[in-house]
Amino acid sequence: MTTIEYNHIVKKAQGRFNGGIHPTECKTLSNQQAIQSLPLPNFLILPVQQNIGQPGEIICQVGDEVSQGQLLVDNTEVFGANIHAPLAGKIIAIDQYPTNHPSGLPQTCLKIKTAKQQVSTELFSPINWQQVEPQQLLERIKLAGIVGLGGAAFPTHVKLAAQPINTLIVNAMECEPYITCDDRLLQEQSQQVIQGALISAKIVNAKEIIFATEDNKPDAIKQLSQCIKQIKSEVTIKIIVAPTKYPSGGEKQTIELVTGKQLPKGKLPASMGLLVQNVATLFAVYQAVNKGMPLTSRLVTLTGNQIKTPGNYWIPFGTTIESIMQHFDISDFTNQPVVMGGPLMGQPIFNYQAPVTKATNCLIFNIAATDEKMWLTQSTQHQPCIRCGECDKACPVDLLPQQLFWFSQSDQWDNLENQGLFDCIECGACAYVCPSEIPLVHYYRYGKSSIKTIQRNHEKSEKAKKRFEFREMRLARAKEERALKHKKAAEARKKAAQDKKADPTGKQTAINEALARVKAKKSAQNSTNPQPKE
Amino acid sequence: MSLSSPFFHQALSTSKVMLIVCIALLPGIIVQSYFFSYGVLINVFFCSLFAIIAEYFVLYLRKRKPWKIIKDNSALVTGILMGIAIPPTLPLWMSFIGVCFAIIVAKQLYGGLGFNPFNPAMVGYVLLLISFPVEMTSWLPATTITPNVPDFSDSLNLILFSQTSNGDDVEFFRQLADGYTMATPLDFTKTQFTLGLMTSEILTNETLLKSHHAWHLVNLAFLVGGLILLFLKIIRWHIPVAFLSGIILTSYLLYYYDPNLFMPTSFHLTTGATMLGAFFIATDPISASTTPKGRLIYGFLIGFLIVLIRAFGGYPEAVGFAVLLLNLASPTIDHYTKPTIYGHNLEEHANE
Ligand code: SF4
Ligand code: SF4
Repeated sequence: MTTIEYNHIVKKAQGRFNGGIHPTECKTLSNQQAIQSLPLPNFLILPVQQNIGQPGEIICQVGDEVSQGQLLVDNTEVFGANIHAPLAGKIIAIDQYPTNHPSGLPQTCLKIKTAKQQVSTELFSPINWQQVEPQQLLERIKLAGIVGLGGAAFPTHVKLAAQPINTLIVNAMECEPYITCDDRLLQEQSQQVIQGALISAKIVNAKEIIFATEDNKPDAIKQLSQCIKQIKSEVTIKIIVAPTKYPSGGEKQTIELVTGKQLPKGKLPASMGLLVQNVATLFAVYQAVNKGMPLTSRLVTLTGNQIKTPGNYWIPFGTTIESIMQHFDISDFTNQPVVMGGPLMGQPIFNYQAPVTKATNCLIFNIAATDEKMWLTQSTQHQPCIRCGECDKACPVDLLPQQLFWFSQSDQWDNLENQGLFDCIECGACAYVCPSEIPLVHYYRYGKSSIKTIQRNHEKSEKAKKRFEFREMRLARAKEERALKHKKAAEARKKAAQDKKADPTGKQTAINEALARVKAKKSAQNSTNPQPKE
Repeated sequence: MSLSSPFFHQALSTSKVMLIVCIALLPGIIVQSYFFSYGVLINVFFCSLFAIIAEYFVLYLRKRKPWKIIKDNSALVTGILMGIAIPPTLPLWMSFIGVCFAIIVAKQLYGGLGFNPFNPAMVGYVLLLISFPVEMTSWLPATTITPNVPDFSDSLNLILFSQTSNGDDVEFFRQLADGYTMATPLDFTKTQFTLGLMTSEILTNETLLKSHHAWHLVNLAFLVGGLILLFLKIIRWHIPVAFLSGIILTSYLLYYYDPNLFMPTSFHLTTGATMLGAFFIATDPISASTTPKGRLIYGFLIGFLIVLIRAFGGYPEAVGFAVLLLNLASPTIDHYTKPTIYGHNLEEHANE
């Protein structure tokens, strides 16, 4: 086994974060083999929105022949990301299909029948990034449809627009068990990832690039440091190695490990002059800029005890889980969820028709051995909370998970918010250690969504109330003004009658009336409120 | 409930945690029954049995699946703790009342495991102490200092019928060779102080020293069990450490204030239920404070109260009262000792 050599490039992390857990890593299953590809799938189910933010406009039709890399969904929104054809083929349907969307609802997808012959066409011309303006690089990244590939799928061009940035942190922690795609990518494509980092650093004008990783990836660290040594750049590049502990890859935890400081509540990393990017994202940046390739596929860790050859595979977006299962001959896997993402924060997928998307970094095909508690695929009745405090010891953001559980179980929303529910990063460390096996994170998600619904309803009713009050007020004022007018008119009539008696010729009346008119005009000018219209 | 992350889980379960607590109590039980006869074992057995029956009964009435829940072993822990805490000759019907009250009222009426604000074993214990003060303070002398040691059938008969087959009652077994009746060291010192004796005089009393020796060893055995729990990470260090510091500091200050009126620290640490309380009773997590800082305050105040009650209170043993009082305070303690959430204090500074 490789050992880590510490020197002026490779350094130990100075910071630390509270809590955290040490789950079984299960990484050697998949990080020993070189990166591979799968044979072409017969068809793709390509969701038209794969980013956080707004959907884009579909610019193709059923029946269109598309070439690889062709723009299919044009997204000009600020938080938008384009979608390109992962493979050449023919669009055979645009319809609702099941996906991995957290809502569980089907999404609009393009169904593409892939062509037998794949000719790769360059969509963009390669750019020599050293010689162009940052704006042009940013433009390219937006066109290429790049989003954060760590799982959040936040459009990268938006993130790269943050200013001023001093340090670009490359998050290569990959702290979740099973996942090894970043590890493997760094082992094989360090050079390209560093180029991607330098491009990003140029865009945000960062002076320093820090690769942050855990000490369980000695091979990747070795590769990376060798490549860094060869690079000549005024940007300093360093590797900071943290002890392996979950969830060091959480953005807040990474920042604390690297800088020794916590990110103040409600602030973005940019407030500390930091920008955090994921390894795979930087590789995609490199591909888009240097190779002119839009983001149409990604490295996915395929692992679990049901896969005979676990490893990391390049998979075009839209490849269904089913076709992957066919390739690996996974047959006795019925009614079991495939876990998309890691075992601690991943998502169970029961519908194997769901496709790989930009947010998919890992697929785990596991069947629990009987009475094995390490792998939960069935929700069972949990035992009550005994307030043992194991969970608060594990929480990386210093919450009291047992109190959150207590308040969410009894629907005490205010207390739940006061306990910091919205600071919870849903890392699952608490549920992992809970001896009563309470699905704590499930309760927190429930609490969060309940509170959000209540807030929305509250806002709605507040708005309705305001509208109602305003209407009431308006009506009341109109009524008052009408009454005043009538009163005045009545008085005027009375006066006129009296005046007629006193002034039969009407001369005095004419003068009075003229005076009254002047007065009325003046008062109308002074009044800022125009006459209400009913 | 639908399946959601995490899918990983570590192996230790609540049932196991409780079971390990029971096992860690064994050294203490064995030493205690060596010095105080078979009655200890008999009590532990019956109290556990009653606890499980009572739990079954209530769960049955509440239409839960009793066996599934009893498997969490929490009733067993309550039963064993009560069996240890009561005198080795307490009539069985009294233990029955105490255990049933603990399980049915103090635990299940509040909603069962996890919802009880008070430590059930201590509620049962204190109920008995208040209702039957004489029987509850009638401890036997250590077997090492008395000629009248009850054998197994004597103990059983005392517990079941309050007298042995020879017609001897509890008082017979409590008498020492010189005709005095022996009490626990705590009782003994209490009476001696009221008789106007000074600490130095009390501490030279032969019988006290011998009897105290037995309690030394009992406490040592519970300490060993407690350390096992700490080592296995079943309990966390906060409460025991704070509890013992509370005892040490308070007793030291009192003794320093007047060495003639108060017992020294070493006496408080090794007598009565000190170690049992520190590692097995105050650490009951459900009724304790649950924040890291709160646990320290909680433990310290229990230790503090124990010494105060022992020194000034009407009852010689104080663990039960002190624990229940702090159970009452723990929601408040929790409220004021919330840990600082990641990034929170910074935000306040930033706004300043
Ligand atoms: S780990 Fe589980 S049982 Fe223990 S305090 Fe936390 S939620 Fe309760
Ligand atoms: S899921 Fe939330 S409460 Fe639980 S450990 Fe992670 S951050 Fe803390």
